[in-house]
Amino acid sequence: MNGTTTIAEFRDAILDPAKRAHYRLAWISTVDHKRIAVLYMLTALFFFVVGGVEALFIRLQLAVPNNHFLHPDTFNQLFTMHGTTMIFLVVMPVVFGLANYVLPLQIGARDMAFPRLNAFGFWCVPFGGILLHFSVLAGGAPAVGWFSYAPLSETPYSSSPGADYWAVALFVLGIGSISFAINTIATVISLRGPGMTMRRLPLFTWINFVNAFIVIFALPVLNAGLAMLLIDRQLQGHFFLPFRGGSPVLWQHIFWAFGHPEVYIMALPAFAIVSEIIPVFSRKPIFGYEFVAASSVAIAVLSLGVWGHHMFTVGMGRPLDVFFAISSMLIAIPTGVKVLNWTATMLGGRIRFDVPMLFCIAFLIQFLVAGITGISHAVVPLDWQTKNSYFLIAHFHFVAVGAIVFAVLGGIQYWFPKMSGRMLSETLGKWTFWLMVAGFNMTFIIQHFLGLLGMPRRVFTYPDLPHWGWMNMLSTTGVFFMSAAALILVWNLATSFFRGKVAGDNPWNAWTLEWATTSPPPHENFIALPPIRSRRPLWDIANPDRPDPIVGENSAAVTLPDHNKVGILTFILSEAGFFGTLLLAYLYFYARPEAGPGPKELDVPRTLVFSICLFASSFTFWRSEVGLTKQRRGSMLGWLALTILLGGVFLVGQVNEYWKLFQTGVDLSTNMFSTTFFTLTGFHGLHVLLGLIALLIFLWVAWEGDFASGRGSAFKAAGYYWHFVDVVWVFVLLTVYILPLIR
Amino acid sequence: MTTYQFFTTAWTWNSIVLILSALAAVGYFLTFGQRGRPLYFGAALVVFLLVFISPFSALANGYLFSAHMLQHILLVLIVPALLLLSLPQSFSLRPPLTYLSYPLIGWVAGVGAMWLWHAPALCNAATTSRAVSAIQTTSLLLMGSVFWWQVLAPREAQRLSPPAGIVYLFTACTACSVLGMILTFAPVSICPVYQHPVDRLGMLSTIRGNWGLTSDRDQQIGGLLMWVPMCLIYVTAILAQLARWHSSPAPQTEKSNA
Repeated sequence: MNGTTTIAEFRDAILDPAKRAHYRLAWISTVDHKRIAVLYMLTALFFFVVGGVEALFIRLQLAVPNNHFLHPDTFNQLFTMHGTTMIFLVVMPVVFGLANYVLPLQIGARDMAFPRLNAFGFWCVPFGGILLHFSVLAGGAPAVGWFSYAPLSETPYSSSPGADYWAVALFVLGIGSISFAINTIATVISLRGPGMTMRRLPLFTWINFVNAFIVIFALPVLNAGLAMLLIDRQLQGHFFLPFRGGSPVLWQHIFWAFGHPEVYIMALPAFAIVSEIIPVFSRKPIFGYEFVAASSVAIAVLSLGVWGHHMFTVGMGRPLDVFFAISSMLIAIPTGVKVLNWTATMLGGRIRFDVPMLFCIAFLIQFLVAGITGISHAVVPLDWQTKNSYFLIAHFHFVAVGAIVFAVLGGIQYWFPKMSGRMLSETLGKWTFWLMVAGFNMTFIIQHFLGLLGMPRRVFTYPDLPHWGWMNMLSTTGVFFMSAAALILVWNLATSFFRGKVAGDNPWNAWTLEWATTSPPPHENFIALPPIRSRRPLWDIANPDRPDPIVGENSAAVTLPDHNKVGILTFILSEAGFFGTLLLAYLYFYARPEAGPGPKELDVPRTLVFSICLFASSFTFWRSEVGLTKQRRGSMLGWLALTILLGGVFLVGQVNEYWKLFQTGVDLSTNMFSTTFFTLTGFHGLHVLLGLIALLIFLWVAWEGDFASGRGSAFKAAGYYWHFVDVVWVFVLLTVYILPLIR
Repeated sequence: MTTYQFFTTAWTWNSIVLILSALAAVGYFLTFGQRGRPLYFGAALVVFLLVFISPFSALANGYLFSAHMLQHILLVLIVPALLLLSLPQSFSLRPPLTYLSYPLIGWVAGVGAMWLWHAPALCNAATTSRAVSAIQTTSLLLMGSVFWWQVLAPREAQRLSPPAGIVYLFTACTACSVLGMILTFAPVSICPVYQHPVDRLGMLSTIRGNWGLTSDRDQQIGGLLMWVPMCLIYVTAILAQLARWHSSPAPQTEKSNA
C-alpha cells in the first residue's frame, strides 16, 4: 500500500476475497522495515510463550526434592531448548525487531539499506525455529545444553539427531543475525537524513549501531564452530573428540568467544532502550551523551576479549586465569559509567512514573545486582565455587530477565503507540510490571542462596537437604507470578491494538525523529523531515526560544558512502571472522602433529600454479571494472569472462588435488590434519564457487546490456568480495602450504 | 641469587644506551628548544632507559620470553607514542619521508613490528646477537612511530579522522590479539632460546622455582601480555579518538567504516 491508495480502492480490496488474499500475502512478502519489525516481534512473542512454558516445566520439576514428574532426559531437553529458544528466538529477534522499526525512523530514513536482505534476515528466524523444534519429531530435542559442550555433543555421546538440528538451526539464525547487522551498519552509515550526522544520532540508534559490530565479529565465530561440530557429527571429523585427537576445550574457546559477546549483543540493545526512555520520562536530556556513547564502544571492544572467564573451571592454567580475571573486571568500568549516567539523568528531573519508566527503574536496580554478581565471577576462586551452582543461574537470569527483558518490556510499552497508533493500557501495564517484578525476584533472588548452599545447576532433581526444599518451592511459586504477568501482557497487546486510546504522533512528548511522523508512520515514513541541528530535533521545534546547543557543524553537502560498498565491506568483515576462526583452529592442531598424513602430502608447486590463476583473476576483474567505468562493453565482458575462467581453473585445480588425496586414501575422517585441511580449503572453495556464480550472473546481466546505464556500484561490490576471496587464499596458502616448508 | 638481590643488583648500566639517550636529549633541545613538549620527551626517555637498564632487561636477555614481550610492547607502543606527543605543532615530515604518512603503511608497520619479530628465527637471533638486537630496537621504535603517526601526529590535519582512526586501531588490535592467541596456545616454543636459558646470573632456579615460571608458562604470559594488556592500549587510544571526535567543533568528515 503506498500513499496514493484511495479509501475506495482500499474498501474494494478488503471486500474482494482475491484482493484480501493479496493483503495477507503482503505481510509474508513484505520488504517494509516496519512490517518486518512487527513480524520479528510477533515471532519473538510466540517463542517467548514456548520458552516460558519450558521454564514452567523446569521449575515444576524442581519444586520439590526427589521429584519424578519429568524424566531426566526430558529435563535435559527442556533446559537446552529453554536456553536456546530464549536467547536465539526471543531476545535476539525482539531487540532486532525494535531496532528494525525504530532505527530507520530515528535517522530519517525511508527504509533499511537492503530491504530484501532485511526480509531474508527475518525469515531466517522462523526457519531456524522450525529446524530447532523439528528435532522433537526427528528423535528427540537436543539435550546438551545451550552451550552444547563437546564431547557430549559429539555423535558417540549424543547419537540422536537433536544436536545436529541444534547446530543447523543456530547456523541459520546466525546468518540471519549477521544479515541484520550488515543492514543496520549500512543503514546508519549511508541512509541518514539531511543534518543527521553521526554525532547527532539518538543513543538508541548509536548503541544498536555499535551492537551490530559485535554481531559482525561474534556470530561468525559461532558459525565456524557449528560448522566444525557438524563436520564432526556428519563426516566423522576430529575437531572436538579427544579420542580422535581433537580438543573439547577448543570448542569451549570458540563457543565462549561468541558466547560472551552474545551477552552484550543482548544487553546493549537493552541499554539502548533505557538510554532513550529515561531522559524522556525525566524531562531532561541524557546526562553525558558522550560517555554513554563511548562506553558502549568500550564495552563492545572489551566484550570480544574476555570470554575466558566462562572457562575458569576448565583448568586453563594460572596465567590465563589471571589475565582474563583482570580484563573481565575492566568491563565493569564502562558499564558502571552507564549506570551513573542513567541515574544522573533522573537526578533533579521531573520523573513521570509511566510504565516504560517503571520498567527502566526496575532495570537499573536489577542490573546493578546482576553486575555485582557478574563481577564476582571474575574472581577466580569464587568462580570455581559458584560457577556450576544455582548462583550462576541467578546471576545470568538477573542479566537476561531483570535487565534485558525488563528493558524490552519498557521499550514495547514506549513504542507500541508508534507502531499501532494506540496506547497500551497503563493499568494493565502496571499489573504486568508489578507481577513481573514480584515474580522475578521471588524466583531468582533465592537462587543465589541456593547456589551458595551448594545446589548444582543442570540437575533434574535434588536430595532433601536443609532449606533446599522451601527455597526451590519459593522459586517455583514466583514463576506463576511471571506467567500471569506474561498473560496480562499478551491480553494488553491484543485489546489495546483494537480498543486502546488513540496515541497521536507524539504521546510521550519525546524528542527523536520517530515521533515527528504519524502513528503508525506512512509507508515512506516521513512526508518531510524537520530541520536537524542537535540531538533532540523535536525539542528544538517545541522550544524555539531555548533550543539545544548545535552539535558539530552543518556541512552543506554531505555525501554519504554508497550503501552497496558499506554493505559488502561489513559482510567481508564477518567473513574474515569466519575464516579467521577456521585458520586459528587449523594452526591449533597443526602445532600438535600426529601420525598419518600431514602437510607433506600436498603438492606445493602445483598449488602455486593454480593460486597464480586465482590471484590473476583479481587483476582481470579490475580490468573489467575499468572497462565498465569507461563504458567499453566489449572490454568489460571480455575481462569478466576471463576472470570467471581463471576462477574456474583454480577450482578445477582444487578438485584435482582433492581427487588425488582421495586416491591415496586420505579423506576428511582420516586424521586431524585431513579434517582441518579439508574444512579450511573446502570452505574457501565454496566461497570461490559462490563468487563464480555471482560473477556469472553479472556476466549474464551485462551481456543483456543492463550495465549500459552505468550501474557500477553493485559490480564494484561483487569485486570487493572477489578480491577478498583471493586474500583469504593468500592466508590459506601461507598457512597450509608454505608454513610447513619453513619449519 | 634471591629475588631481592636480583632486583637490587641486576641493573645493567649499558653505556651505549646511556650515551644515546643523552645525545637524544641534547638533540631534542637543540632542535625544538622551547617549542616542544619536553615532559613527554622525558617520559619517553625514562621508559626507554627502564627497558634497557632495569632488571627486566636482564630477564628479557635470555631468561624470560614474557619480559622480552614487555620490552617489545613498551618499545613499539609506549615510547614512540610519547615521542610523537613530544613533537611541536610545527613538525612535519619532509618529502622523502612523506610516504610514511599513508595509513596502510602505518598499519602494516605497527602490525608487522609485532608479527615479524616473533618469527622463531628472528626472535632467537635478536636474543643471542647484539647486532640483531640493536636492529630490532631501532626498527621497533621506527615502526611504532610510523604506526602512531596516523593517530598522534602533531597537527590535527595530519591525523586520521576519528572514525577512521577507530577502525585503524581496532583492526591493528585484532591483528595483534590473534598473534597473542597463537603464542598463548602454541604447544611449541616460539623463541626456543628461552626454553633452556644460559644461566649467566644464577637466577634460573629462582625463576623456575620461587616464581613458578616454567618455560611453558613464561610463553603463555608473553602471549597473554600481547593479547590482553596490549589490546587495552589500543582500546585506550580508541576511547581517545571518541573523545577527540566529540570535542571537535570541526565539520564532520564522513568516513566509511572499512
